[in-house]
Amino acid sequence: MSVYLEKLAEFSSLLRQEGLAVGLQETADACEILSCLDLTDRETVRSALSAVYAKSREEQAAFQRAFDGFFVSAERRDALRRQHEAEARELARRREEAQRELQVNGQPMELREDLEEVYIRMGQEKREQLHQMLERTRGTMGRSPDKLYGNFIRSVFMRFLLEQQMVMEDAAVDCEETDPDLALLYRDISLFKDADVPRAAALIAAISRQLDAELSRQRQGRGHSGTLDFKRTIRRGLETGGAFYRLSYRRKRRRRRRLVLLCDVSGSMLQFSEFALRFIKSMSEVAESSAAFLFSEQVRPVDPFALQNMDAFRDYVRSSGLYGRGTDLGAALEALCTRRPAPLGPSVTLLILSDTKTIDLPRAARTLLEARRQAGKVLWLNPIPARKWPYVRSIQTMASLCQMVPCSTLDELARACRKLMK
Amino acid sequence: MDMATLRAKLDEARYICDDSLVTTLLVALKLGRPLLIEGAAGVGKTEVAKVMAAALDRELVRLQCYEGLDESKALYEWNYQKQLLSIQVQMNRQDPDALTQSLFGDEYLLERPLLQSIRAERPVVLLIDEIDKSDEEFEAFLLELLSEMQVSIPEVGVVRARSIPFVVLTSNRTRPLSEALRRRCAYLYLQYPDVEKEVSIIRAKLPNVNEHLAVQVARAVHGLRASDAILKKPSIAETLDWVSALEALGMRDLTPESARQTIGFVLKSSEDMEAAGPVLSGGGEDGCSCGHGHDHDHEHGHEHGHCGRCHSGDGT
Repeated sequence: MSVYLEKLAEFSSLLRQEGLAVGLQETADACEILSCLDLTDRETVRSALSAVYAKSREEQAAFQRAFDGFFVSAERRDALRRQHEAEARELARRREEAQRELQVNGQPMELREDLEEVYIRMGQEKREQLHQMLERTRGTMGRSPDKLYGNFIRSVFMRFLLEQQMVMEDAAVDCEETDPDLALLYRDISLFKDADVPRAAALIAAISRQLDAELSRQRQGRGHSGTLDFKRTIRRGLETGGAFYRLSYRRKRRRRRRLVLLCDVSGSMLQFSEFALRFIKSMSEVAESSAAFLFSEQVRPVDPFALQNMDAFRDYVRSSGLYGRGTDLGAALEALCTRRPAPLGPSVTLLILSDTKTIDLPRAARTLLEARRQAGKVLWLNPIPARKWPYVRSIQTMASLCQMVPCSTLDELARACRKLMK
Repeated sequence: MDMATLRAKLDEARYICDDSLVTTLLVALKLGRPLLIEGAAGVGKTEVAKVMAAALDRELVRLQCYEGLDESKALYEWNYQKQLLSIQVQMNRQDPDALTQSLFGDEYLLERPLLQSIRAERPVVLLIDEIDKSDEEFEAFLLELLSEMQVSIPEVGVVRARSIPFVVLTSNRTRPLSEALRRRCAYLYLQYPDVEKEVSIIRAKLPNVNEHLAVQVARAVHGLRASDAILKKPSIAETLDWVSALEALGMRDLTPESARQTIGFVLKSSEDMEAAGPVLSGGGEDGCSCGHGHDHDHEHGHEHGHCGRCHSGDGT
């Protein structure tokens, strides 16, 4: 039993790493249920543990991956062992090959083991780039090889490592097989193909309905948070012989915020802006009035709620001359701040939809500060995945000036909209 | 109860399900945990509770959730009229404290489904249907009941369960449920059945229906569900309605014509009905709904509704 417990504790820990909220109770439940099941039936064990550990459809997908990785069947284990042996042989062979190829002045290059593995995994094109560089610097390497090629090789290798990591971090890769809708929800919007767009639109419509329902529930379900309404309480008390069994409360009038949207529609941002507008448009109760501005190098006012058909949005952008241009956020914000009548004000939430890539970053930062001063709240929806933010200077600059929310996937976009509702 | 017994009981109740569902039900039963079932509308979530009530030979107590549902509708309410009458009758009683005390006895308590389920002498199956339609406050209120199997009534105190009900919560995922609620439940996600399973369901629920028609309808419904153009996907109950309607009209085959005449049993909006045209006439994922396992690519040598392999020798 202690062996099972130990294994289950390890499995629980693995699930925690996968993002599941697994506590002691779940592990205890798993232990209890396994004691009354046929442990030789893998699928039964899988279903039982899934019911105990995974508490949503998303968690189920993560659970399946973890289960397959942790509880390996005997056949699979043998196959994996054979595969690992073959891979180890292949790695050793390629390592020798790499040592032959990477030579400086006839001597093998002193590379760390992990960087050597990176070289082995490199495509032919990148390897050739590296060899060309080594050829070019052959003459000077003898004098100070470390300083000369060290930085370059490290940068090439680190970039490759980063790319690999990003691919692995793409949650959609694993979700794809289990559920296409779920995969779409977690896939980077910039990776959407044309064929995905109708499915994505249907998904957005479904999520928007959810958001709308949540909003209306929030509005109606406030309960009696207001003060006691004496008149109504007395009037209702008459129905029960003057006894005040049912108290009536004054409902607080909820003031909705005004929303001003500033949408980047330059080439790469069009798809994202279209999806984001679909979300925001569907949330009819978010704001009592809104204004929207589209920008690339110039800025144009547009009424997003009038664009009922989102295909018309795309056509409008293309015909307006904004599409395919560069991005000048500074000019757009400046136009917004100086516009009369002023669209910004203390009760306004300024929502910026942009990837922060702009010409004249210092000016953009200055005007963002001014916009922040004029508007009550500034929220930035950024389609670039959060894991890439540390490498993009403009994002770091803008994120330090206002609240920035990552919106690289439809799921994140929905979360951002929930944030808007609060 | 073990897997085999539960499976036998579900079979007895004519409930078609796979081993994974039986395992999940057993897990919830063994651990005494509520079972949270999520899935699209019409996949048979509510049916699980009904079938479990039949399988366990327990009474089914149902609480239908909706916006604004509160404790007075879900847990208990005092019978105010009876209390007022009682006050008037006993107005001259000497001991006012005793009178007040007596007003909050069982006699004046109106039990609602939640209280009814935990105060029942014999354990029941408690179905809390469409929990996602209720407010978050109500969800929070349920936590005490689901984890401790007790409820607090201010005038009475803590009411502990006499018998532990088997609780089934269903959700259509119109809003995310709280983590706290999820953590207290065993979880099951139900998907629409595949064609084979749906045919088995039709066979189990409507044993007299023509097998060939059942396969055709199951394939057609599968095509409708797979189509992005159909917004409200047909439920299993609607599949059964469709088969019954076709059978009642004496239609032995699902031809485009018969489908057009009876489509109202499976699709409930004019937009969906319009969009269903191409799907049912072969433009859908499955191609024609003739019911045969052969590939359909519109070049398979027969008109839809005139499949030589589907139709019996009478040439219909």
